[in-house]
Order: sequence, then C-alpha cells, then structure tokens
Amino acid sequence: MIIKPNLLSRLLLLFALPLLFVSFLTLVGCGHREEKTADGRIILNFWHTYGDQEEMILKEIIKDWEKSNASYTVQATRLPFDGHKAKLKTALTVERGPDMARVDWSFVCELARKNALVDLAALGFDKIRDQYLAAPLGTNFIDGKYFGLPDQTTCVALFYNKKMFREAGLNPDAPPKTWDEFIEQGKKLTDPTQGRFAFAMDNTLWWTLPFFNTFGAKIIASDGVTCLLDSKEAIAAMDLKSSLYNTHKIEAGSWRAGSISPDSGFVNGKYAMIFSGPWNLPKFTNSGIEFGVGLIPAGPAGTSTNVGGTNVVIFNTSKNQQACFDFLTYFTSAEVHARWCKALNQIPVNLKSYDLVKYDDPNLMKFLEQMKSAVANPIVTHSDVLEDIINPEMEAIMTGQKTSMEALKNAARKIEKKVLRRDS
Amino acid sequence: MTSSAPTRVLLFCLLLIGLILISTGLCSQMLRLGSMLLAVSTTTEAPAAAELPPITDQTVVKNSATSSEIPILLTPAGRRMEAFNPAVSFFKFLLTAALVFWVVARWLRTPIILRGEFLKTMFLYEALMVGVIVVLFPFFWMVCTSFKPSGTELKINISNPFDVVPTNPTLNNFKKVLKIEPGNTASDAKPQNKEDAEEQKKNFGTYFLNSLIVASTAAFFVTLFASMAGYVFAKKELPYKSTMFGIFMATMMIPGMMFMVPQFFMICKMGLFGTKWAMFLPHLASVFGVFMLKQFMETIPSSLIEAARIDGASEWQIFRIVIIPLSMPILLTLFLLTFLFHWSNFLWQLIVTDFQEPLSITLPVALSLFRGQYTSDLGLIMSASCFSVVPIVILFLIAQRYFIEGMTQGAVKE
Repeated sequence: MIIKPNLLSRLLLLFALPLLFVSFLTLVGCGHREEKTADGRIILNFWHTYGDQEEMILKEIIKDWEKSNASYTVQATRLPFDGHKAKLKTALTVERGPDMARVDWSFVCELARKNALVDLAALGFDKIRDQYLAAPLGTNFIDGKYFGLPDQTTCVALFYNKKMFREAGLNPDAPPKTWDEFIEQGKKLTDPTQGRFAFAMDNTLWWTLPFFNTFGAKIIASDGVTCLLDSKEAIAAMDLKSSLYNTHKIEAGSWRAGSISPDSGFVNGKYAMIFSGPWNLPKFTNSGIEFGVGLIPAGPAGTSTNVGGTNVVIFNTSKNQQACFDFLTYFTSAEVHARWCKALNQIPVNLKSYDLVKYDDPNLMKFLEQMKSAVANPIVTHSDVLEDIINPEMEAIMTGQKTSMEALKNAARKIEKKVLRRDS
Repeated sequence: MTSSAPTRVLLFCLLLIGLILISTGLCSQMLRLGSMLLAVSTTTEAPAAAELPPITDQTVVKNSATSSEIPILLTPAGRRMEAFNPAVSFFKFLLTAALVFWVVARWLRTPIILRGEFLKTMFLYEALMVGVIVVLFPFFWMVCTSFKPSGTELKINISNPFDVVPTNPTLNNFKKVLKIEPGNTASDAKPQNKEDAEEQKKNFGTYFLNSLIVASTAAFFVTLFASMAGYVFAKKELPYKSTMFGIFMATMMIPGMMFMVPQFFMICKMGLFGTKWAMFLPHLASVFGVFMLKQFMETIPSSLIEAARIDGASEWQIFRIVIIPLSMPILLTLFLLTFLFHWSNFLWQLIVTDFQEPLSITLPVALSLFRGQYTSDLGLIMSASCFSVVPIVILFLIAQRYFIEGMTQGAVKE
C-alpha cells in the first residue's frame, strides 16, 4: 500500500500530537522550589524518615530552633524508610538533593565514599563528639573522618516470656545471664511435642552480631582490608549459635524459609526467648503477652549487642552547611534529645541525655543498659553485599553442610576480595 | 465410574465429610466476619480504646486462642461480637445441616447408574471450593487483619490457625489511614493555616485519588498510542517497517532500571518533578503494548479495511470505526495491564514524588510510609490495602470477559 501525500500529512499530524502534548506539559510543570521563603528566610531542606509521632515532635523542635535562628527555616520532608536510599541517590545525581537528611546507619559509608557528605570536622564536630554514645557514633566514622551524627539508636536484647519461664519451673524475673545458663534453661523451656521452643532467631549478619560481640569477635580488622570472620572467637560464636539448633535443639529453626517468625512465635507463646529491639515493646505490650527484657547472655567478652538506628548527615551540595550543622547539633543536644526520647520512649544517643531520661518501663531501661555494651557494626560501603556473602555461609553452617571454620573462612576470603579490596 | 455400590457409598461418605469440613469452616469464618462487621459498625469507640482498653467497665475473658492466662480486655465491639457468638454457632450449624441434607437428598434421588457422575461432580465442586479458598484466603486475611488492634496482628488461634477473624475488632486502623478522628468532621476541623491544610490532604483519600488519576490517564494514553502504532505496524506499508519493529522490540531487552536516572533527569529539566505527569510520561511509549496490539491487529482481515476505504472512509475513520471496535478485547487487556502496572508502581513514583506536595503522593508510595526501619504497622498497611485493591477488583470484574478473550485471542492461529 502506498501512502498518499494527504494521508502522509495526516499521519505527521498524528505524530505531532504527542510532541505537542509533551510541549504543553513542559509549560504546566512546576519549577524548582524556592531556596528562600516569602519573608526572606533561607530554607534548609531536611529529608527524614520519622513516623507520625516523631514528625510532630520534630516540628516542635524545629520551631524552637528557628526562634533563635530567625534567618533560617527548616523544611522537614518525610520520606518512606523503604526506598529512602534510592530516592536520595537519584535526587543527588541530578542535584535535587536536600541540605541534610536522616539515613540508615549502613548508608552513611556509601554516601561518604561517593563524596556526597560533608566532613563534620570542618564545622566544629570535634568539640561535641564526646557527648555521643560510642557505638552509634562509630557508624559515622569512615576513613578517619566523621560524616554524620547519630540521631536515633537501637539495639537488640533478650525478650523472654515470663509465663513460659514459670511453667518450666524457672524464675520469671531471672533471665539467663550467660550462654551456659541460656542453654541450661533452654532445655527446660523446650518441648517439641507441644511445638514450644526456648529460643527463635534470625540467621542474618545483623542479627548474629550479638553472638559475635559477646565472644569479642571482630568482623573487619582496623587495617580495613582484612576480614577476621575466621578468627577463633568468631568461629566459637558461630559454633555456639549452630549448637543451639543442631546440638541442644532448643532453637526452633525460625530462620528457615516458611517457618514461624520469631516475633509471631513469641506473641503466640511458641518461643520462650527471642532477640528483638525496643520497637517491639508497645506491640508486645498490646498483644497481652507477659514478657520481660534481659541483657544478651554474656560470653567470654561479657554481654554485648549490635547497633541499629539512623544518622543525620549534611550534603556537600548544601550552601548552608554550617546552619545545617547548628540545627543538627541542637537537635541532638542533651536537653532537646532528652525531650525527644521521653516523648517517644527511645534510647538516647547523647550520653548527657541518659542522666535526664528516666523511664517507668523497666524493659526500656534494660535497653538503655544494654546499649552501653553495644559494639559498632562493621562499616563497609555496601553492607548489603556483606550480608549477601555471609548469610548463605551461615545458612550452610546451620543446616550442617559446612563447619563453622570452613564457612567463615570462605566468607572471609570472599569479603576481602569483593568488599574490602574495592573499598580500599 | 464403574466402581461397585459399597465403594460408591464409601466415596460419597468421604466426600460428604470433606464437604462438612469445608462448609463448617467457610460458614464459621463468613458468619464471624459478618458479626464482626456488624459489631464494629454499630459500636462507637474512642480512638485508642481498642489498643489500651480501660481498666474499668471491662470484660475479662480467658484467651483460649493462645491458651494464655493473661486476660484479654474486650472493646465494646468485641463484647458485642461475643454476644453474637451463639447466633453464629446456630447459623453455622443450620447452614451446614441444610447443605448436607440437600446433598444427601440429591444423592438419594440420583439413579444408581448416574451416581458415579454425581460423585465426580461432587469431587469437582469440593476441589474448586478448596481452590477458591486458597486464592481468596490472603484477601480474607487482609480484611480481618485491618480490623485488629495494634499489637495483635500477629496473634493466631493456635487451635485453629485458619480462624483469622479478630475477637476484638476495631475501626481505628481505618480512621488513622483516612485521618478521621471522632469529632474531626469537615465542619469542625477547618484548617487553621496553609500548613494545616496541606497536612489534612495527607490522607489515603487523596493518595487514592492521585493513584486513580495517574493509573487511568496512563492506561488511556498507552492504549491510544500503542493502538495507533500497532495498527501502522500491522496494516501499513512503510519503508524499513520490519527493521524499525525489530529495533523497537530490541529495546525490551534493556532493563527499565537503566533508564531511571536519565528519565528522572529529563523530568526535572522539563520542570515536571512532583507532578502527576512525571509519574507516567516516560512510560507512555509501551513497546510491549505495540507488540501485543500489532499481533492482534494482524488477525483482522485487510479486506475489511479495503472495503471501508472503498466506501470512502478516511484513515482516521478506518482506525476508529473498523480497527478499534474489532480490537476491543485486546485494547481492554492492555488498558488493564497498564493500569495495574501504574497502580502498583513504587520505585519510579517514589523517585518523582515531591513529598512536600500531597497531591503528588500515590498509593504505593503512601503505603510504604507505614513501614519503619525495623517494624511495620501491619494493621494500617492492611486497612490501606483494602482500599487499594478496590479499583483493581472493580476493573477486573467489569473487563474480565474481554480480558480473558484478549489474553487467549491470537494465542492460536488457525
């Protein structure tokens, strides 16, 4: 079929329509946001991932800060935690990022090594550095520099079901203090015929750090290029973890695909003990379960735990870095932070806030105690790659396919090759 | 079926037991769901009542579901639901008995020679019922969880894990999602300033509407453009047509993630960041859509087009009067698939959303706001999900005939 000229012009018209449509859209689109308010105040964009209650307190704190910093206004924008990394990365790529942001602790290293963040030393961080808890602060320490401040921290501790303890003839106010006690009590709490187990756990790196830390095992050496996962401390920690399931049979196998998760099993009286964080305190209280919180059982290095939470960082692209730093310093200062923690029942990151915060909830107070023994997590550019390497090896240990030594040696070499050498 | 009479009777008894089990379970859950909906809709409660029940004026019951001795405090809706329990048990028994009576009566009325067929049909129906339960159970669970008070979402009935209807239902999750608090009616909760007005817009009603606009506009334009392109590739003679189509098809092999940053850059440069246009504009050119429509349109006889041309129809008229009506099943299929894609598209919409502007936040992005770093508010997620499935269900119910036709047509060429 040959297209006639008049037909061709009509077809051209059809093609032109979408072009016109796009041109129209360019006209109706909104432009870049103003960097100043109508009354001339400089806008500091702060992207965060707080929840509803936290957002309300944040707004109050911002208002208070603006009273003494009248030339600035902080525009807080809430993002979903899921996807905040993707959102920030794409926004920074096209220079539409914020002045400062609250990010997951594991994201700071990647941002810092991609030169997106400001070294806080130049803004006066050295003067206030000592006021923060060492473990959460450590997640901001990259290549000898601090690139963020901790704003919120968390850790895991031992949740236990008091009713199950009582039924097993154990003291419901005395959770196990050491791993030996844990195993001994665990045997009394386990009844596989009833589907009841003493313990349930996840089998990923972050959830295994309490085991490693109580044995004093380090994941990465201070030189930054050697992985110490095959150290005798790490192997002993992993042997203990594996023995809970394979030898002593007090662990439910909740790490396997399709099994009841630790949280769900704990709420339903299937698991007597789990590792979990303060974020579950209100949920478990509402569920009506009678529970208590104890410290992670002590190993050769005493009790210890992992570190979670978030940090606040300032971006290189910001034109008002000092003002951002001043706001974040105010936000995490002792009194303001104590107010924040009291209102939200959170663990302080500021050591001075510890003296100002007293909770009625003994379970929450236990987290404050546990936090002091926390050890900073391994810092690498891509923590997800670290997990991707270690988790399958730990799975192989738990399922008996490999010994702890074999699996951890294998993981250590892979980490050195795929993570640490690239980072260095 | 050529089995003997005793075997047939035995099989019938087994199938009848299966039917009783399925029917009891189904009736129990549906009636409990009904009583729950009735209880929550006829009870007024304070926003926090369900989560932290008052110490006074409370009903304390033993939680048989978890065999725990910890008292579970019932909310007013829970108490009312408990009052419905005898009626639920009665109707459950009545409905099951009626069904059994009906099946046994049919069995007895069936001539012996046809009883084999009867058993086959009965087995088929039971298997289909199990299939329906398996498919619909996640939705049922979603609805039930949306009525559970905070903290009890993970609680299961140990004696019957399939009993997921809450004993202590609450509407708080829906109220939180829609930002409806008691006394917070339109008349008495007028925004005080611009910030409050913006804040009020941050509710699921707004997000739902945003998603609806984005998904339906995108689906309309994708279907329109793809049908035009599909028609040209199927029925028109163009220089290098096959080569062009091959190049188009080759672009399908490049992962969409590769385009994300350049597309975002272009959207920002066009000044469309944070607008609804940004949500779908880069996805309007659907190679998959063009391919699907071209394949279908090739099956339309060219003689129809030629006949229309002889009758004096213009090119646009041929497209509109001949091609579009004949392609309706596949067009609706593409519309539905595109709608679904944009309705659930999270990553792109997250990237182009301006979170200062509530009118640019869509449902998938808003749903993720309920997930924190370590924990998720399951009740809120489920109640929001109840809203989000509604348009999909409606669209599918309306278009399912065309959809299935569209998916199967062109599969076989005879």
